[in-house]
Amino acid sequence: MKRNLIHITVFFTVFISSIHLHAQIKESIWFDGLSRSYFARDAINKSITDDTISALNTSNGYNLLDLNTHVNPIKNIEVFAQLRIRNSFGSFFGSGTEINVRQLSAKGIINNKIRFSVGDLFLKQSRFTLYNYDEELSGYENDMLKAYRDIIHYENFYNENRWRLQGIQTDFSYKFDRYIRSLGFDFFVTRPLGSSQINETTYSSDLLLSGGSIIAEINKKIMFSGNYINLFEVPSSGTKNISVRNPVYDMSILHQFNKGNYYIEQKIQTGFSKRYWLHSELENGLVDSISNDAQGMYFELDNKLINKDSTLSLMIGYRYVDPNFRSAGAQTRRLDYAAGNSNTIYPIYTNMSLIRQPSLFDLVSDDQLYNQDLSSVLMVYNPIYSNILPYGEATPNRNGIYLKAKINDKNKLFLSKINAGLFKEVIGQGTSEKREFGLLKGALKINFHRWLNWEKELSFSASSESEITRRGGEEISSLNLFSHQLNTSVNTELVKKFFIQASFKQFYATGSEFLTERDNYGNITYFTPTQIDQIDHMLSFGMLYKFRENVYANLNYNWWGVKFADLPHLDYKYNRLILILSVKL
Amino acid sequence: MNIKTKIFLLLGLVFFLYSCTKKEFEGPSIQNIYGDFQLIKPLIITNEYPSFSNNENVGFHCEFNKPVQWKITIMGLSTSASKEIVGFSDNIDSNIVVWNGAPTQLPFFLEENCAIEMTFENEIDTIRDTITIASAKTFDNGVWFENFEDGLPEDGTVYFNNLGGGMTFALANDDALLGNSYFKMGGRVNWDWLLGNLDIPLNITNINQNSDELFINIGILSDLDDLHSGQFINILISEEKNTPFNDNPNNNGSDLFESTMEVYKMKIPVDWNGWQLKSFRYSDFEPLSPSNEDIDYSMNPSDISAIRISCQACPSSDGNPICPENFGKYVRTDIDHIIFTTNSSLLDQ
Repeated sequence: MKRNLIHITVFFTVFISSIHLHAQIKESIWFDGLSRSYFARDAINKSITDDTISALNTSNGYNLLDLNTHVNPIKNIEVFAQLRIRNSFGSFFGSGTEINVRQLSAKGIINNKIRFSVGDLFLKQSRFTLYNYDEELSGYENDMLKAYRDIIHYENFYNENRWRLQGIQTDFSYKFDRYIRSLGFDFFVTRPLGSSQINETTYSSDLLLSGGSIIAEINKKIMFSGNYINLFEVPSSGTKNISVRNPVYDMSILHQFNKGNYYIEQKIQTGFSKRYWLHSELENGLVDSISNDAQGMYFELDNKLINKDSTLSLMIGYRYVDPNFRSAGAQTRRLDYAAGNSNTIYPIYTNMSLIRQPSLFDLVSDDQLYNQDLSSVLMVYNPIYSNILPYGEATPNRNGIYLKAKINDKNKLFLSKINAGLFKEVIGQGTSEKREFGLLKGALKINFHRWLNWEKELSFSASSESEITRRGGEEISSLNLFSHQLNTSVNTELVKKFFIQASFKQFYATGSEFLTERDNYGNITYFTPTQIDQIDHMLSFGMLYKFRENVYANLNYNWWGVKFADLPHLDYKYNRLILILSVKL
Repeated sequence: MNIKTKIFLLLGLVFFLYSCTKKEFEGPSIQNIYGDFQLIKPLIITNEYPSFSNNENVGFHCEFNKPVQWKITIMGLSTSASKEIVGFSDNIDSNIVVWNGAPTQLPFFLEENCAIEMTFENEIDTIRDTITIASAKTFDNGVWFENFEDGLPEDGTVYFNNLGGGMTFALANDDALLGNSYFKMGGRVNWDWLLGNLDIPLNITNINQNSDELFINIGILSDLDDLHSGQFINILISEEKNTPFNDNPNNNGSDLFESTMEVYKMKIPVDWNGWQLKSFRYSDFEPLSPSNEDIDYSMNPSDISAIRISCQACPSSDGNPICPENFGKYVRTDIDHIIFTTNSSLLDQ
């Protein structure tokens, strides 16, 4: 009896403890993630492209699973790991399968007061200090191409205009009962680039990015914020005694209030930057010195009027950015034309083996063209696709006014957006004459199903984006570049959750510009004149089945190509069949 | 704050922002890169009858609309002596761009008429003028020189490979650089590097200049007729102090150039046509045996005790075919006027 009692006691002890353990696991570990199946078949349109060297058609694809594991060992700590399993189509088991850790981080709250994160961080500050601006041609993308855009953003960690960095970050705030309502602080230190071996005896230095923010809510109407960020190299971590320094200081005052049916925001933002290279640890006891020193400031006055029923949002402002303003965190571009990245699809074309420059289709669909690393110098851009604000609102050497508006119908019968601006260079490039810029973008979406009181969706959207650049003066340095992007798309929900989609995207650019060449320290060294006259097009037709939000299957066919008016470029046309099954877990 | 005050402040701010930037434009001038070339001010010569022996100079002045690569060529109409001055700028300043009467390469200018030609890279424009040299520039003989006019230097030794063919290690009078005599060094030794050498003892203990300020100038003759592409001259300079110049009279050469001694070397490939005067800074010479830690390599011009001019060529025979393309070719590296100058090379005086 006693023995049986012991057995029963042991059984229940183990059983109950296992129930407890099970419950604990259930509470402290959870999973989410994303799964994607991707298949694309590309083909040359032989009727126009004289190319017998390249394959007539190619296909590629993959299955991938990003499994996010969230572990909460204690209440206020979470450890996060994203494990990627990717298998390319057509590869043998094992040889074509990649397994890697894509993200790793830990975050928590100390004493219910101080929040911290370690590992992979997604950081953003003001639009002039740390901000990952949207890539060109993505402003008014239609729904049909959203699947492409989602992949580009997901694969390159573009998350709400944040830069993905590795390091440590902390933030905390205080609330007060008089003089000031609240005070928030945020600090981080990250390492965008580690030391690496350049050759047998030379190592590059660690590149670090540190910064801090303070946000003070003075009262319900006035808010003050300040940001500081510094990109710098640590010479002792490498063998080079030249290290970059790029501190940026930013401050803004926000005044917000209600007036009738409107909410009004007025914001003044200003700051300045330094960027130089420090020569330290010099031979023969020489004192440290600096070179390529650039200092610049910026100023922005922003006025926003928002109707409380969200039918109208109007923003008017003035912005000045000095030619020497340099902010690596805000001026690094997503698209890097100088990195030597070639298009994934048909990088070389024609029987002359010409290098195919990225076109409208490549910018829309090729995630390999995009950049994830901060750059301490201004990156190369292609004026065809973005000439007015290639570095976003932090583009240096710009001075002008802008207007942004959103007008929506109360019942969402239509939604419209307008974005316009008139800018001018602060100083000229290669000549004392300054470029003048005009920007006009508009988008309209009409929901016919709401108009006709249909349950199933029938919508039409269109957008038009124009950029014009002019420079007068002497004939040799004058220029005139015009570009226009047209987007149209139709969404028709035939049966519930099943859509037929069609879209047409065309990009037209004509005129002349000067391409700017810079040295390793960002100084302009040369201008190359270029004549532009081309039309990019992309016609798509397909179907979409939305299982639920963020779970969809997309099958469509694209006809795309570029037509050039003059040699040395040759026209080309390609077709693509694509299938994407995306499941957000 | 009323609306007028706000507008006033905003305008003031804009004015302030405009005044922040001082530079006119970024980068190089497009006009300079792509604009048509134009002469703004013609070529002006400051002295059309220079007397170089009295230390007079000729200055040049000219202005263009953009920076260009320009070249001024002065050609002696009697001697065919020439001088080239080159630069990249949008103006030529007569205070900076001056000619002191020395040629770029031998021969020297004499009292003669000279043609002046100014040309520009990638432009068809050419400006021409003339000057007359009233008196030619005089050159001093430096701290030591050997012109072979009085035969081989006293105590000098000559060695050459007796088994070679057409060996010419002797004085000649047919085609001297200056004067009548020069020293011929050449021949054919297909199987070995060394053809021969000329060793000369030196005594320049009275100079105070350091190795950066001592220049070795030497005239070398080559011709391009069936050129031996692997021929060169090795100049060795010894600072050995404890060994006599010709310690062992049986070896046909000086004993101051052993690998255990403080000896410096300079290798000169010889691949041009005619005479050229070459100048080298003594500090550019390299140690002969850098890995020998017993030698204290500390250059001191006043310790120079001997110079060796060595004629060498890449072997080409079947037994040692490093340069087979030179098989059977004759080496020619004749020399004349070895001059040691201080502070500047001979032609830069």
